[in-house]
Amino acid sequence: MYIFIQQVINGLTIGSIFALIALGYTMVYGTMKFINFAHGDLVALSAFVGLTIYTTVVSSFSNSIIAILISLIITIVIISIIGYLLERIAYRPLRKAPRLSAVVSALGAGMVFQNAIMLIWGPNPHYYPADIIPNKIWHFGDSVISLIQILILLLSFFIMIGLYILVNKTRTGRAIRAAAINQDAARLMGINVDAIIVIIFALGSTLGAVGGMFLGMFYRGITFNMGWNYGISAFVAAIIGGIGNIPGAMLGGIFLGLFNSLIAGYISSTWADAFTYILLILILIFKPTGILGERVAEKV
Amino acid sequence: MKKKITGSLMLLMVLALIIPIGLNAKVVKIGVQAPITGKYANEGQGIDQAVRLIVEQKNAQGGLLGNKIEVISEDDEGTAVKAAFAAKNLINKKVMAVIGSYTSTCAAAPQKMYYKAGVLQTSDGTSDALTKHAYWTFFRNSNPNSAEAIFTANHFINQRHYKKVAILSDYSSFAVGLGDAVKKEIEKLGGDVVYYGKIKAGNQNFTPILTKIKSLHPDVIYFSGYYSDGGLLRSQQVQLDIKADFYGGDANDNVDFVKLAGSAASGSYLINVPTPSLLPYDDAKKFLADYEKKYGMKIPSIWTILNVDGLRAIMYAAEQTNSLDTKVIADFLHNMKKPFPGFTGPLSWDKKGERIGSSYFAYEIQPDNSYKVISK
Amino acid sequence: MRKSAIYKYLVFLGILLIYPLFSNSSWLAIGTTFIIYSIVALSQDIVLGKAGMFDMGHAMFFGIGAYISAIMNTVFNIPILWAIPVVVLISAIISVLMAMPTIHLRGDYLLVVTIGFNIIFQQVIKNNVFGLTGGPNGIFGIERPSLFGFEFSSDLSVYYLAFFVLILILIMIKNLETSAVGRAFHYLRLDNLAAQCVGINTRFYRLFAFALGASIASIAGVLFAIQYTVISPESFNLMQSILFFTIVIVGGMSSIPGVLLGTFLMFVLPEIFRDFNTYRYLVFGVMMILTMILRPRGIIPKKFGIIPKYLLKDK
Repeated sequence: MYIFIQQVINGLTIGSIFALIALGYTMVYGTMKFINFAHGDLVALSAFVGLTIYTTVVSSFSNSIIAILISLIITIVIISIIGYLLERIAYRPLRKAPRLSAVVSALGAGMVFQNAIMLIWGPNPHYYPADIIPNKIWHFGDSVISLIQILILLLSFFIMIGLYILVNKTRTGRAIRAAAINQDAARLMGINVDAIIVIIFALGSTLGAVGGMFLGMFYRGITFNMGWNYGISAFVAAIIGGIGNIPGAMLGGIFLGLFNSLIAGYISSTWADAFTYILLILILIFKPTGILGERVAEKV
Repeated sequence: MKKKITGSLMLLMVLALIIPIGLNAKVVKIGVQAPITGKYANEGQGIDQAVRLIVEQKNAQGGLLGNKIEVISEDDEGTAVKAAFAAKNLINKKVMAVIGSYTSTCAAAPQKMYYKAGVLQTSDGTSDALTKHAYWTFFRNSNPNSAEAIFTANHFINQRHYKKVAILSDYSSFAVGLGDAVKKEIEKLGGDVVYYGKIKAGNQNFTPILTKIKSLHPDVIYFSGYYSDGGLLRSQQVQLDIKADFYGGDANDNVDFVKLAGSAASGSYLINVPTPSLLPYDDAKKFLADYEKKYGMKIPSIWTILNVDGLRAIMYAAEQTNSLDTKVIADFLHNMKKPFPGFTGPLSWDKKGERIGSSYFAYEIQPDNSYKVISK
Repeated sequence: MRKSAIYKYLVFLGILLIYPLFSNSSWLAIGTTFIIYSIVALSQDIVLGKAGMFDMGHAMFFGIGAYISAIMNTVFNIPILWAIPVVVLISAIISVLMAMPTIHLRGDYLLVVTIGFNIIFQQVIKNNVFGLTGGPNGIFGIERPSLFGFEFSSDLSVYYLAFFVLILILIMIKNLETSAVGRAFHYLRLDNLAAQCVGINTRFYRLFAFALGASIASIAGVLFAIQYTVISPESFNLMQSILFFTIVIVGGMSSIPGVLLGTFLMFVLPEIFRDFNTYRYLVFGVMMILTMILRPRGIIPKKFGIIPKYLLKDK
């Protein structure tokens, strides 16, 4: 039994990081109807930016937790600006173009991010300091949970609640939902769709930045090409939950994390990827719009 | 008239450009085929820099048989297809010998091309497949997986008395080869391999597979892949509170292993040929110091030095035979009466290009991240 | 076909014909791979450009061709050219089996499914199923073919073999464009529903496009195995699929000159700038974005007869 509980803890931790990144994909898809393939590399970039800021500010603070929070906030600001620039430079000129052009533009932007990281920080891995979060573990029965896992779970949970409230209970949120359903109609209703898209990219980048720094703190080693792996997993999570659907991305991320853990733990780690994608294909065959259904108006 | 003058001037200029090249024709070209970018850039750049240093020192002493040596580097990015392109370029540039590549796959892909072109190749690749064809051009400067596996199994079963062993590898040809060999040798000695699985390199989240291993209660976890995953495996093993010893195969022996594992590095074990700092020879120590002085960094790993040794043996053979003919050099290397004293110990080769003799160490990483030799 | 277009193709093929005279062996190898990649890109274009199905897993069929022919050659000692009919048949069957349950999926969902199939394929060959695929090492020692007593042992002969196949494929695609099938593809790309309404069996033509694209890609796979005599999984991974996908979009969907130019830009250009190792892919990414902004329909977009401009605005 403790093995099962342990696998659930493992799965929830990685799943909540997937969910944070998946939200970035799903929100962009919801309004702009294209897959932002650069998002994974943006996550990797935020892991590097976060580490650099942490190492510069850490000496001025006595407490490493405060230093982390400060660097997290600065990283969020920087990555949001980069996310905005990405939209402004690489995507906005392509709003009226065929959708696949924006996809290729996104692939190009991903390549730029990845190689920029390599040129700035070098091809070798970088490492988050080992003592960034105290190495503390709790036992219950034979299962263990570490402090960093608890932090990741709690923070992700609160961020997602916050996002849910923002989207469903505020005026901005209503505008976001309206723009997702029909941009032209939203514009006619007096919504500044361009501003909404900027907000969406800033929000997506914020969540990605948090995800990137979590990855760095949890796994310590970060490499310039790590974004692709997480990007594709998070993207699959968004599809499983129903693309364009915000609760769907959260659910999809958690679900994918749990599924990965349980497959690797109970069936076969050598075939874990194949199982994940077979599951994805089966879901799409039988429920072509994901578990919670997509929230995307057909573009006619 | 004017045209004629311009024409002859042009001709003169062209001749002036060509003649010095003709006079300098006595240049021996040495190729480096290494992953200078990509996943193993760290190791690839190390090999490139170390070869350049050796050549610089050799040129300062008057070169090889009076000829200046020139180094030509080609990046194989750690992939087989790029390795084939890189090899073609090196062969076109008429190199005498190629040092590299770092990974077995990239050493194997162009092996036949070098053989056909009569270009000597020396690589640290440890896959047993490399010497299968017994090409006369190929010289392995490290020891094959099978030798390491025999040492590992003997160490586990007869010295550490482990009963239950869990083995992990990644999908690379090198790690699978080593993992398979270790499993076979352990079973031969009566050990019980309770788990043998693969991880995806770069995946980072190894907690599911480690939790699975935890439920099997092994005495030891052995990982045959590379440091970039090994360090994380160790760190997550400690995080999951799995009470088993952790052993990394030779590719874990990299300064980054300790950085990734953090405080968990202490108490884990590595199996490899002696690390650079443990090499007992004076000329090896001098070379390490020279390298650090010139490049301002430590040599990445023992693999760099093994490759350098391959180059030094080839230069030694050229001088002994007083010939730059690759066939003559290869014949000499295959039939050495007295081994060449390398930085990594005596070097000599059998007919298949397999390095004769091996020396493996098992290390325990200490709290201050130094290595303590626990078995030779 | 208009006359000027014929001349352009003749010039292109003429350059390819005499190219080996001006290249050393490493550039000859790049030339051969360029031709092989062009064939794959053209086959990708049948699915993506002509029939309008978002296929981002095309390297899988390229890989199936390479692997099946290599296995037949190294395990069963069958001359590799004899493998071609088998390879074509098997990859057509696999593509139809794959596409049957998924073909109705819209745009991006199909894209995700094809990505998924490519990743599953990778894991299958890396896990060395039935001990046939050689795992991560791949397969070594593939024999080059001989035909009517002529041995394709030199790199030059392999170049011309690939060149010959490229001509056949080009003729075939040109014929396809002007045939009823080509028109059907065209309609179902523009508007699936409308195509159905005018009586086109969209399901059949979608499956047909998939099978055709897969078969051609698998022939290119055989050529790839012949050229390198070594194949390993990373030559057929998702990155390669994305490369072929990008080639078609950057060059111009459904446009043969566009796809050929795209292959040149996306594959040969990075090889030319090998010396700028670390910077080249950064510049490359910037170029991809710029190309899309300046030429959203690709560098050489396809013109379909005389269509008023306002009709071309969207889609």
